[in-house]
Amino acid sequence: MGRISTLSRAVAVGVCAGILAVTAGCHKAGGRAPCPSGKLCFEATNDADPATLDPPRTSLTIEANVLSDLLIGLTDRDAAGRLSPGMAQSWSASSDGIVWTFKLRKALWSDGVPVTADDFVYTFRRLEDPKTASDYAYLFYLIKGAEAVNSGRAPLDSLGVRALDPHTVQITLTHPAPYFPEMLTHNVVLPVPRHVVERYGDSWVQPGRFVANGPYLLKSWTLGDRIVLEKNPLFYEAQKVCFDRISYYPAPDPVSAERRFKAGDFDLDIDFLARRARYLRRPDQIPKAVHTPPELADTYMTFNTHFAPFSDQRVRVALSMSTDRDFITKALTAAGEKPTYGFVPAGTANYDAMKAPVWASWPFPRRLAEARKLLSAAGYGPTHPLRFELKYPNGIDPAVAAAMQADWRSIGVFASLVAEEPQIFYQDLPVRDFQAAIAIWVADYDDALTFLNLLQSGTGGQNYGDYNNPEYDALLAQADHEPDAGKRAAILERAEALAMASANIVPLFGRVSRDLVDPRITGWVDNITAFHPKRYLCRSDAAARRAAG
Amino acid sequence: MTTAPEPGRMDTSNAIKGRSLLDDARRRLAQNRAASVAAAILVLLVFIALIGPFLVPFGYDQVNKSDVLSAPFTHGHLLGADDLGRDLLARTLVGLRVSIAVGVVASLVALLIGVAYGAVAGYVGGRVDELMMRLVDVLYALPFIFFVIVLMVTFGRNLILLFLAIGAVEWLTMARIVRGQTLSLKRKEFIEAARAAGLSTPAILLRHIAPNLVGPVIVYVTLTIPTVILAESFLSFLGLGVQEPLTSLGTLVSEGANQMELAPWTLVVPAVAMAVLLSAFNFLGDGLRDAIDPKDR
Repeated sequence: MGRISTLSRAVAVGVCAGILAVTAGCHKAGGRAPCPSGKLCFEATNDADPATLDPPRTSLTIEANVLSDLLIGLTDRDAAGRLSPGMAQSWSASSDGIVWTFKLRKALWSDGVPVTADDFVYTFRRLEDPKTASDYAYLFYLIKGAEAVNSGRAPLDSLGVRALDPHTVQITLTHPAPYFPEMLTHNVVLPVPRHVVERYGDSWVQPGRFVANGPYLLKSWTLGDRIVLEKNPLFYEAQKVCFDRISYYPAPDPVSAERRFKAGDFDLDIDFLARRARYLRRPDQIPKAVHTPPELADTYMTFNTHFAPFSDQRVRVALSMSTDRDFITKALTAAGEKPTYGFVPAGTANYDAMKAPVWASWPFPRRLAEARKLLSAAGYGPTHPLRFELKYPNGIDPAVAAAMQADWRSIGVFASLVAEEPQIFYQDLPVRDFQAAIAIWVADYDDALTFLNLLQSGTGGQNYGDYNNPEYDALLAQADHEPDAGKRAAILERAEALAMASANIVPLFGRVSRDLVDPRITGWVDNITAFHPKRYLCRSDAAARRAAG
Repeated sequence: MTTAPEPGRMDTSNAIKGRSLLDDARRRLAQNRAASVAAAILVLLVFIALIGPFLVPFGYDQVNKSDVLSAPFTHGHLLGADDLGRDLLARTLVGLRVSIAVGVVASLVALLIGVAYGAVAGYVGGRVDELMMRLVDVLYALPFIFFVIVLMVTFGRNLILLFLAIGAVEWLTMARIVRGQTLSLKRKEFIEAARAAGLSTPAILLRHIAPNLVGPVIVYVTLTIPTVILAESFLSFLGLGVQEPLTSLGTLVSEGANQMELAPWTLVVPAVAMAVLLSAFNFLGDGLRDAIDPKDR
């Protein structure tokens, strides 16, 4: 899943500064938004304005944040990020793990129309409809017929999603997938109200037209200012929802957002600057508000293996060895990131993260010496130094790349750094317009496969290093048909070890969420999925405030 | 332009050497204390930006893992170190060098385009002038920051492009000023004389118009340089400026602002350097304006 970049944030600041000079039209910094008396309001930052709130067209975490308050999918997550029933009260799979049946609860859309199985059939068809052009259609290719439908080779109604009756959805897969209910929490398969979408077309997402089945309604959306959500009285657990109003403010500058949080303008500030963690955790600052649990996401290095120098495995291993992950995570990304040597992050469900290789515990000078040996074996040395270009997207701290560059220079490797706007960066990589790159992958669902699938030879564009190993592919296929979770994990772990030994990709460090949460907020549970719907939250002084109001 | 003494009073044995307007200007500039000090500081800054990095024992891109965020006067870092343990003095000097280079080069680009464009528009006049100046108006309306962002995103980030992009925006005001001057110049007698003598338009522009524009143009260039340095700092602050590990004053201030509670020196050192540089340029520009254009005083 994509993450909004600092550049996009920066552009917003620039625009804002420009407008400010002329009309002073930007949202004034400072001051908490007034809340109607007797009501409880929750003010939160979002990295930027969502591009859209139409589920199949979303691809960023900023969109998922808002959607998690508006729509509830077949399955859902609880406050701790664990899988829980959503619109489906219960579900079961056939003994071969292919056919899944979901029993829907009786629930209403916010306009009073019942939520039916037909809405879900419509949602999945819309996702795979080539006309929707969803970036994420591929994620559900494991549904029978999805790939053919999405590429326009088969009609929409051949998709393996059926309504058996108004309250039963049946989904047929191409292979067993025990993690399928996990995948259904993804924001691109949140249900859309068929009767509204068919009436308004793509503009159904506008405030006033948007019909929700979740705890909140889309009240208003002012670009560059805020998105306001109000409690949905028809939500099936409306009596459990604490806050009456949720506001999301696009906060382009993380440091000023953090200062406004400290001033009490916000109850929640997401994605504060990693380098500021050290300061914020000081006892005289706001240590109780800082939340940095690990997240299912990886920062890793990938190479264009079609050409020298990175067609040579020794060169890739040498660069991996001479990257001082401990220094980077200690000095730069000091929020609690951990060095990683395997691709699947620690904490992934039913999986043991890969152990560090032997050289990881060597003193750094010894690693440098070993890397130098590998390089000279590959034909690079003082007379023929290794030179290449390292690309990375804005959003990765440039100092990380600078630290790597400095260590490499000490063994005679000269990297020139190129930071790119993420949209450009993630266009260059699939067409292999790079030599080496630092990329980020955020899990789409809590299973090792969301990472390991990237290295499958048939993945195409997103297999940036074109890893192609029949043995690896065979192991993944074998895992797809292994019903036992433990045995499946063992097969996947073997596959991962195989891929990591080739250093086709080089994991650098695991990521952490970086949230500032007002200590008076209750119901916030740090979790690895970084999923925090606002309906689970309340304030410790809520009762008193209501009485006073 | 010196006025010839009257023939009757001509005294060949004791000829008074005439003072040119330029001499006058130089004298007035020398009398303006703020401007002279600013000029001296500028020369000094350019000098240390060129020589300084060779005198500091640390390279500007040298990572010292044990010196992360060390305070001034510790671990051999005169002005402290940043969060990669890189020496702040070395980085500030290199940043100064980059900022001055951006300022000067971009201003020269603006100077070349602006003078040529404005002089042609003003001298040719009529419909051509109308068309050329409306184009300038249209470009004025183009938001500078979007223009640069589009350039950076399409062509990738590099220093030369940054020079060109800023210069290509800053020439607009120059073109307007030059056009106005040219309009008033072209009615002057010496231009008419040149035309009567049969000089071609390009020759008149080059030989008679351009030299007479020097005054206002020099003033405007000195005032453009700090604007450009600020523009570069603004872009760097937004993360659009120079690439790591190279740095500019704007980038350093931006990084320092993120660490100012933990390591105030990472903000203060480059911010002071930038303030001194910009004030020096501005004082010198003001002084030049007063010196060259006595009407303005």
